[in-house]
Amino acid sequence: MATEWKLFADLAERAGDKHVTVDADAGDTVGDALEQLVAGRPDLEARVLEDGDLRSQINVLRNGTNVLVEEEGLETVLEEGDELALFPPVSGG
Amino acid sequence: MHVFGICDRGADRDAVERVCDRLVDRLEREGRVGVVRYDATIADGTAVHDSTTVGGDVSYELGADGDWAASGTGLGVGDALDRLAADCAYAVVVGVEELRHPTVVVGTDDADEEGVVAAVEQSDDLDPDAIAAELESREPHETLHSLVDRVKRSPTADQAGAIATFTGRVRAKDDADDARTQYLEFEKYEGVADERMAALETDLEARDGVLEVELYHRTGVVEDGEDIVFVVVLAGHREEAFRTVEDGINRLKDEVPLFKKEVTVEDEFWVHEQS
Repeated sequence: MATEWKLFADLAERAGDKHVTVDADAGDTVGDALEQLVAGRPDLEARVLEDGDLRSQINVLRNGTNVLVEEEGLETVLEEGDELALFPPVSGG
Repeated sequence: MHVFGICDRGADRDAVERVCDRLVDRLEREGRVGVVRYDATIADGTAVHDSTTVGGDVSYELGADGDWAASGTGLGVGDALDRLAADCAYAVVVGVEELRHPTVVVGTDDADEEGVVAAVEQSDDLDPDAIAAELESREPHETLHSLVDRVKRSPTADQAGAIATFTGRVRAKDDADDARTQYLEFEKYEGVADERMAALETDLEARDGVLEVELYHRTGVVEDGEDIVFVVVLAGHREEAFRTVEDGINRLKDEVPLFKKEVTVEDEFWVHEQS
């Protein structure tokens, strides 16, 4: 089973797509999935990573839950069929 | 209120009317249904019905049982929908091309057109249950008025002495010299945004003295001067109503995954990249 990333706002524009499927699977980490997402997408990589770490403004959700706040960050282990989301600061209203 | 359109694609007028009747019959099982008919041939002095607008710009004719007829001047399709939203569960718009709502086309079997939810040659081809289910899955049309009316119908309204509201709208200019904003375009994380809004409503409703909270945020293109977001709070007293409205809009802006692109006469940018 592969894992799907959903991308929003300028991150989707930089990735060239709103949905990207990566090979990372149950047992791999969110960080593995992120590495596969940015591989070959230098514009997206520069936007979300700084010296290999996630930029402070970038949000990563796993099944709607913020992994940086409520889980183990990029070390969070994936489960079967997880949906990952990557987005900049929210700007509703 | 859920809105959809019916457009003619080469059928005769009766076929369009039968499609409308059949869908209205089905939707009336769920709630009150409004119908808006647009006819570009109606202009000054050529109304299809005898105008009752005599000696005033708007006329109502009322009967003893609440039945009524109206005529008037100066109403657009959007205005008509906003009025229906106060007490209708559905609205059907007949005869408007490029409606921003899902549309049923009559007189063709080509459903590939953008925004088309069903294409039928005649009313017998309709699947009203499927169309009703499809509408239910779409974003409803809400106005400040429709949300205020909803909280007033709450079973807890007996204990409410206050309704406070916030309306966020598209600001054309930050100051007089600014390049004019033409529209904003909102992208939403489907599913997660709705969950967060619902959780935020529940959280605010748990406060002492707060009875009902309604949050609504439009997505897609919202033009200069149009409303974007509403917060409506029904509360026992004004203090908690005001506080909850303020916290509600602040938390919605901080917590709900919505993304705003601004298009001005000069430029186009994602708003978070500007700050």
